[in-house]
Amino acid sequence: MAGHDTHDHAGTAPMVEEVTDFEVLEIALRELAIEKGLFTAEDHRRYTEHVEQLEPAAGSRFVARAWVDPDFRRLALDDAIAASKELGVDWLHPTGFGTPSDFTAFEVLEDTPTVHHVIVCTLCSCYPRPILGMSPEWYRTPNYRRRIVRWPRQVLAEFGLYLPEDVEIRVEDSNSKHRFMVLPVRPDGTEGWSEAALAEIVTRDCLIGVALPKPGVTTNATRPLHPALRPVAGSEAGGEA
Amino acid sequence: MTTGHDLPSARVRTLERIVEHDQTWGRMAARYGVTNPVPPWKSSLDAMCDALDEEGATLPVLTRRDDEDRLSRDVYGSLPHPENQLVALAHSLVTRHVIDEAELADRLAAVRARLDAAGA
Repeated sequence: MAGHDTHDHAGTAPMVEEVTDFEVLEIALRELAIEKGLFTAEDHRRYTEHVEQLEPAAGSRFVARAWVDPDFRRLALDDAIAASKELGVDWLHPTGFGTPSDFTAFEVLEDTPTVHHVIVCTLCSCYPRPILGMSPEWYRTPNYRRRIVRWPRQVLAEFGLYLPEDVEIRVEDSNSKHRFMVLPVRPDGTEGWSEAALAEIVTRDCLIGVALPKPGVTTNATRPLHPALRPVAGSEAGGEA
Repeated sequence: MTTGHDLPSARVRTLERIVEHDQTWGRMAARYGVTNPVPPWKSSLDAMCDALDEEGATLPVLTRRDDEDRLSRDVYGSLPHPENQLVALAHSLVTRHVIDEAELADRLAAVRARLDAAGA
């Protein structure tokens, strides 16, 4: 890479240094739509932020409800889009939740003690975003997408999930119009738990199928929080007027 | 009430040229050693679709999605996702007379010139 005078960003990811027709088309359409009053630039910014910040919380509540409510469980398996709507996730009217192209078919894959499901998109990175938010980085890698379909037991072991040989693994391949989510088996040790407490242990990875829910392992991953070196006086809880 | 099954089958030359040029993300990413399988404009496209569905009454939501499904499959089957989603949206807006094709062609040239100038 020697020989040119652009400043060096050692260790950073490469970027496509070429303007593509598709990038140009996306901008052109957006500008024309704004000029015609179909939506505003501020609308677009707001929806972009929304799309990029979706979280798997709705999927966790979905599973917890299915564990405690047999009627909801039946609905979830028969008509997952209707079941989603009961939790405030409307695949038809995305805002509030979801993105337009995720609409179409959504199916819940029910695990049993002898059958375990895991989802993938071998072609690209299709994912049930209205209910799980954005896909994890690894979900989009060729490593996962190519290998999970051929050697699922080995790839799951790489996530720390060791399934007994008598558990059948079914890999479901998503596409741009058909999305899936896993309904794991409710773990032992959760008898009598509230729906909210159950939702806490249904992490994103359980909904993809690369982990199993466990009492004590919650969605609330601890993040490092360092105290400010020079805290602002009077900024403690209870603050002033 | 129509559900959009009357989609005009007219060809859109401006979009056909884009398809022929084939700057799809998979090819570009491979050329530049980029591993992200989704092009950087994808979330902006999703937001545009959300904004169209929620803010405008121009294209009823199911009409737009139905167009996307059928155009992606029948007209732009050679394109991968999400390029087919983007081009299908453009095709739908042009053939449903929301955006004029000549106006789109002019804007494409203007945007291209602007972006190229920024990288000169």
